[in-house]
Amino acid sequence: MKWLALAILAAIPFALPSQSLVNIAMLTAFSAFLGQCWNIAGGFGGLTSFGHAVFFGTGAYTGAILQTRYGLNPWLGLPAGFLLGAAVGAGIGAASFRAGLRGSYFALVTLAFAEVFRVLSNSTDFTRGGLGINIPLNLSWQNFQFADRRATYAVVLALLVLATAAATWLTRSRFGARLAALRENEDAASALGVDLVQTKTLALALSGGLTAMAGVVYAQTYLYIDPTIAFGSERSVEMLLVAMIGGAGTVWGPLLGAVVLHLVADISRNFITTPGFAPMLYGVVLLLIIALLPQGLAGLWATLRERIRRA
Amino acid sequence: MTTARLTRRTALAAAATLAMPRIGGAQPAMIKLGLIHPVTGALAGAGGRCRMGGQLAIEDINAAGGIKSMGGAKLEALLGDAQGRPEIATQLVDQMAEAGAAGFTGCFASALGLAATQAAAKYNIPFSIDSGIADAITTRGLKNTFRFFPNNTTATNDAMAALDALNKKAGSPAKTAVIVHEDSEFGTNSVKLQAAMLPKIGIEVKAMLPHATPTRDFTNIVLRIKAEKPDIVLISNYENEYVLLARTLVQQRVDLVSTFSISGGGFNLKFAKEAPTVAENMIDFNHWHNPKDPRALAFRKRVETATGFYSWEHPFGYFAVKLLADAWERAGSADKEKSIAALNASTMSDHFMPYGATAFTNGQNSGAHPVALQIQKGDMTVIWPDAFADAQAVFPRPKA
Repeated sequence: MKWLALAILAAIPFALPSQSLVNIAMLTAFSAFLGQCWNIAGGFGGLTSFGHAVFFGTGAYTGAILQTRYGLNPWLGLPAGFLLGAAVGAGIGAASFRAGLRGSYFALVTLAFAEVFRVLSNSTDFTRGGLGINIPLNLSWQNFQFADRRATYAVVLALLVLATAAATWLTRSRFGARLAALRENEDAASALGVDLVQTKTLALALSGGLTAMAGVVYAQTYLYIDPTIAFGSERSVEMLLVAMIGGAGTVWGPLLGAVVLHLVADISRNFITTPGFAPMLYGVVLLLIIALLPQGLAGLWATLRERIRRA
Repeated sequence: MTTARLTRRTALAAAATLAMPRIGGAQPAMIKLGLIHPVTGALAGAGGRCRMGGQLAIEDINAAGGIKSMGGAKLEALLGDAQGRPEIATQLVDQMAEAGAAGFTGCFASALGLAATQAAAKYNIPFSIDSGIADAITTRGLKNTFRFFPNNTTATNDAMAALDALNKKAGSPAKTAVIVHEDSEFGTNSVKLQAAMLPKIGIEVKAMLPHATPTRDFTNIVLRIKAEKPDIVLISNYENEYVLLARTLVQQRVDLVSTFSISGGGFNLKFAKEAPTVAENMIDFNHWHNPKDPRALAFRKRVETATGFYSWEHPFGYFAVKLLADAWERAGSADKEKSIAALNASTMSDHFMPYGATAFTNGQNSGAHPVALQIQKGDMTVIWPDAFADAQAVFPRPKA
């Protein structure tokens, strides 16, 4: 029942006559996808990353460089981005988890990695430094550039389904159980024989690979990336917020988070014209959710049920 | 009888009223024009000034009777805040296109302009770039995109010619340079070209010092400049960093023939008024109006009376709109194809920029040129080219 309702909701944008409404749906699904990618490592694995832009940027640059430098078909960017993103995730994971980093130390390391990648992409000719990369405009589906925003939405939706399937798998699989055990108590889980480094590294690699695919889609949609767009901390914060607001470590949290955050942002942008007021309102809503719903929107139901029972 | 006659008279009156709008098109259509700028976030100041320029143009055009060839059609502004994010700029283009926008102007920053022009190209709606200097905006083959103002290559070529002319006239006191630039698209783009061209005008580049935006302390960079002992410092960065660097150069008593920037972000009248001793005699190669045109001076006064601050972004926003209006006037229509054809054939000379009549090649106005500016006695003066100069250059500047 729940699945059917969701499928219908997700299909509505295809019937919308307005490209701008489709675009809002696309951006919402895109945020949800990014949030879900973060959630796989940050929510289910408790690997609170402040630098997921490192994967996003890796994907964006992979897609852009493969086609502008090597003339490869942009669709190949998706698998290539996934592989490179996963490799970067495995690299960062292996290095940090072997060193025993966790919690805020891990968060700081990811932040640093994203910054290092930003500086690197800003200073090497291979990535065209601060100039960024312009992907030539050539609208055709073979070229992974769509005139109709519904096509972009379809791609993003497919990726969102993929990431959500991965999240669902984590709630049901042995691997997911090991990851959750590590999140709840590392020492106890290790004592029971869970391989800490391997499990966490795999989770970060999966999350990184998926996030990189989002970067590929972004580059194909806006056709211009530079180091700040690709590796800027704003992107990391957006992913983290969507998951946290919705409910980290739950399958539906990032979806809820993305819908609510986009509703607030778009409504306030369209109905309030005083400059600066829209971002301010957005901030207030964020503060309220964080203060009143520590478990995110997905935890709201549980919180309410608890209150009713106590009353 | 009375009733019947009254009825007939009423009916006639009603018919006349209904027929009225159709007779001679007495009710002119509105032309919607999307103005897309970052008016919140880091670029809010400059974006807001471009927007204001655009709004002033709309006000003037409407006050002068609208687009006359379209029966006095009035312009209506659709305002959009791109917040400095390409995704939002694209979203605004979609929304405005659906709201019936016949043209766009924007977007101050090149990254926003690249995203927005390409989104508008999907609808084939003409886009008049107000600011956004990256060559790529007009070189990637978008048929709908036009830039009245200079691009980066022109700006850098002209700047080197200006620096060369100023230097030679003074007996070539500048032989070495250090380049300080911000490290994103804007700064890097200009600096690569500069570094290649400086040796050709007899100036050796001793070092290139990139910095991030934002940077809040320039002591280290200035100490490195001091160690290199250059004759001039070339600067390419945004507003806050420009002012901070200039102030640190004075604080650390760096002895220079001059400073020279290309599109120096902080080089403006506010800087000249707020830090007169720091700003005095600094040279910038930038956009400005023709100071010999009385309309430019009147426009500056009008903006200063309204907001207390005038900069080149105001005329940019203003003439980006005027360019579109001129095309609609000549096309006699706001039809997309006809407007784009009219823009391509544009020879607009009714403006007060130092450009001459417009002539578009692949969407770029080939007659557009920046000028060399110097802050003298707290005011902005044009010192090169001679045709538009309203002051003599102070080069080299007097020793501190």
